[in-house]
Amino acid sequence: MIKNFLEIKNVTFAASKKNKVNNVTLNIEKEGEIICLLGPSGIGKTTILRSIAGLEKIHSGKILLKNKIISSNEIHVEPEKRNIALSFQDNSLFPHYNVIQNIEFGAERNKKKKKDLKIDDLIKLLNLEHVKNKFPHEISSGEAQRASLARSLISKPDLLLLDEPLSNVDQSFKEEIQVKLKKILTDLKITTIIVTHDSYEAFYLGSKCGIILDGQLKQYDDPYNVYHFPNSVEVVNFLNRGILIPAKVIDEDSLESEDLGIIKGNFLKRYPKGSEVKLLLQPEDLEHDDKSNLKLEVVDRKFRGTNFIYTLKTPSDRLIPVFVHSHHIHQHEVDEKFGIRRPITIDHIVCF
Amino acid sequence: MQKFNIWYLGSFFISVIVAIPIITVFSSFFQTTTNYFFIIEDTFLYEYIFNSIFLLIGVLIFTFIIGVGCAYIVSFYKFPGVNFFKWALILSFAVPAYIYAYSLTAFFENFGTFYSILTKIFGEGDYNSKIPKFDEMLGAIISISFSLFGYVYVLTRASFHYQSENLIELGKNLGFSKKKSFYKIILPSARPAIVAGLSLVAMETLSDFGAVSFFGVSTLTTGIYNAWVSFDDLSLANQLSFYLLIFIFGLFILENLSRKRARYHSLSKGGFKSKSIISLSGYKSFFAFFVCFFVFFVSFLFPVLQMLYWTIIFPKHINDLNIVQLIFNTLLLMFLSSCVLIVFAFISNYGNRVSRSKFLEILTTFSISGYAIPGVILAVAFISFISWFDNNLISFLNLETIKSIFIGSVFGLVVVYFVRFYSLACNGIKSGYIKINYSIDESAYLLGYSKLKTFTNIHIPYLRNSILLIGVLVAIEIIKELPITLIMRPFNFETFATTAYIYASQDLLEAAAIPSLFLIIIASFFILITSRYILRE
Repeated sequence: MIKNFLEIKNVTFAASKKNKVNNVTLNIEKEGEIICLLGPSGIGKTTILRSIAGLEKIHSGKILLKNKIISSNEIHVEPEKRNIALSFQDNSLFPHYNVIQNIEFGAERNKKKKKDLKIDDLIKLLNLEHVKNKFPHEISSGEAQRASLARSLISKPDLLLLDEPLSNVDQSFKEEIQVKLKKILTDLKITTIIVTHDSYEAFYLGSKCGIILDGQLKQYDDPYNVYHFPNSVEVVNFLNRGILIPAKVIDEDSLESEDLGIIKGNFLKRYPKGSEVKLLLQPEDLEHDDKSNLKLEVVDRKFRGTNFIYTLKTPSDRLIPVFVHSHHIHQHEVDEKFGIRRPITIDHIVCF
Repeated sequence: MQKFNIWYLGSFFISVIVAIPIITVFSSFFQTTTNYFFIIEDTFLYEYIFNSIFLLIGVLIFTFIIGVGCAYIVSFYKFPGVNFFKWALILSFAVPAYIYAYSLTAFFENFGTFYSILTKIFGEGDYNSKIPKFDEMLGAIISISFSLFGYVYVLTRASFHYQSENLIELGKNLGFSKKKSFYKIILPSARPAIVAGLSLVAMETLSDFGAVSFFGVSTLTTGIYNAWVSFDDLSLANQLSFYLLIFIFGLFILENLSRKRARYHSLSKGGFKSKSIISLSGYKSFFAFFVCFFVFFVSFLFPVLQMLYWTIIFPKHINDLNIVQLIFNTLLLMFLSSCVLIVFAFISNYGNRVSRSKFLEILTTFSISGYAIPGVILAVAFISFISWFDNNLISFLNLETIKSIFIGSVFGLVVVYFVRFYSLACNGIKSGYIKINYSIDESAYLLGYSKLKTFTNIHIPYLRNSILLIGVLVAIEIIKELPITLIMRPFNFETFATTAYIYASQDLLEAAAIPSLFLIIIASFFILITSRYILRE
């Protein structure tokens, strides 16, 4: 009986003295689960993948795959014996073989396995038909990335590691590939760890997300919780989900801000009355109301297709982002006054 | 990744074997020697050093002018025959300096070929006193320069070839004249290539034995050979070698220091723009054609025609030669050495790649400096080491002597070739490996390929062109190689190079023509089949 499909216990991942992620504990419970690791560039996400794949050794803790230790201080199973596939961020296709030959390399390992995934289907699925006979230097980096992904998928690994798999894919094409990728991984029940710096990609693809910051795994939770209930100021800042403003707890369901007045909602954590806290204010928490008497000055306006993001200045010079649907009839220019609906009600109040 | 594996050990042992002669030379400095050293120190040592420096400076100036000049003309201008000259100029690689020396002497000597031509055209006359004589130092400088300028030409041309139009446009933008652009932009950006070419020329010049001994110029290299042959004093030969090595390493250091931390143009896909070629017409076109043709004629056609002329007018010498045997011997050495070098260079490179050990990297770098060491020194050092090993370890263990296995045998000859040309093969494979991103190996491992399978299924197919190129380059070097073959060959075992040398040293230049011609033909054949790669690399 497998306890957890993958267990990472107190592992310090280090590619160099500077590039270190300390004391990581993380489990993937079921086979076929997809998790995403999010974090800024150079924080050590790739090192984590390389260590799980066996390309780097670990110096503390242990990694178990299907209840077997694959990495620890004493044990290091060689990468070729792990049945773990890693799709690199850069082009790692074999330059002297064409796309289809490259993908066939992946198929070789599983010659004896039941073929529930055919090369042709995969090529079609990942839109590689037009380049299948081309060599890596003749195709775009996005196509190379998809070919590399196809090669990893066809090998039917126990664990698939994807390092920024769609970073080179055109924006227009990205969502389509994301949908296809999720479908393939789910249909084939391939347990996957995806490293990305795109939070929306992570929230869509992963059933769980890990946030790596300052050499630590700061939060490991499902995407909804990571998004709505970040567990630290660092996670808030990294996800760039809003700002923190000072407030005072005045009741069990309300607090008061110097700039916005009374704010009502459900506290995630209980705070004693009178506590001074920092309230997380996200762009969707405030609603626009032209008739409101709470008016703030517009200092910037960004058009984001479905909505505008207004940046408002409070009397105490804090900048607050607010979403407004782009179909809203009245657009506000910079320096104009912008009304905020009162009373302010937030579903889940997150404070630090 | 596991550091110590079979590949690591393989690479380690190969580097150690290659390093043995180098270490022997260095250790010899502390050995006691016979009185000959003091005799030489008091008499010829300064002459050896002076001649070596003079020869070196002369050759460097000549090769710089010819190599860079030709490279510039064929890279930046279009004129009749330019595509032909691009590769024809590298045919000079097929003519070793000593054969060039024979041709030069044969043509200009008293009653030589030039005299015959003048007599045929103008009738009998006292031409001997008017015909210039290219002998001694001048002859050696010319012979070595025309034989070696190819290194500067090939590397500089490659650098010019990859020079971006952006760089040239930058000059125009800054208001530079064409001349100023050449001196301020084009030439400095090709500097690493020019310096690399000149470094190769310097090493080859210092290690030249055939041409300088033919012209009777006493350099450190001929001194080493004489110390061993005339005085039968290995320690003395090694000590002289030490001086030469210091000289060569000094050059390396100078070259590195001169570059400091300057960075030169890099090939990036995005910003690179192919430069436009200027079409020449009129007298400019003729001048460009003339320069290239002159260099091609003097460096290649001249020695070939001279050797061909003698072969035709003195055909009887062909009867003295066992051509089949000579071809067999030459091809045998080429084949054995190329195979051994490629296999071992591959293992060493892969060992370095797999283990990523700093120590191994340093050891490999040290061992490939064997290329900077003249063949004479390597051969002498190898014999010294085997003698020491045999006299101390083997006799201590009461075992049969191993001298006959290594000295005066094809095996020993191949071992010393191996040491001498190891850097050529090793660097060749390395430059191929640099193009393979390390993540490609890792991808293969992650697809379940073992290190051996990655090596055979991924690397060898990818590097097959490099293998072919290196095999041929090694073959060309071995066909031409003289001092190692002379010292290490088995009794009565001759190649075209040794046969030509022996005849020439007996003043039988006409007889040396046939083996020289064969040598040039075989070398030219190999150059022709790889010219595309040589020019590209």
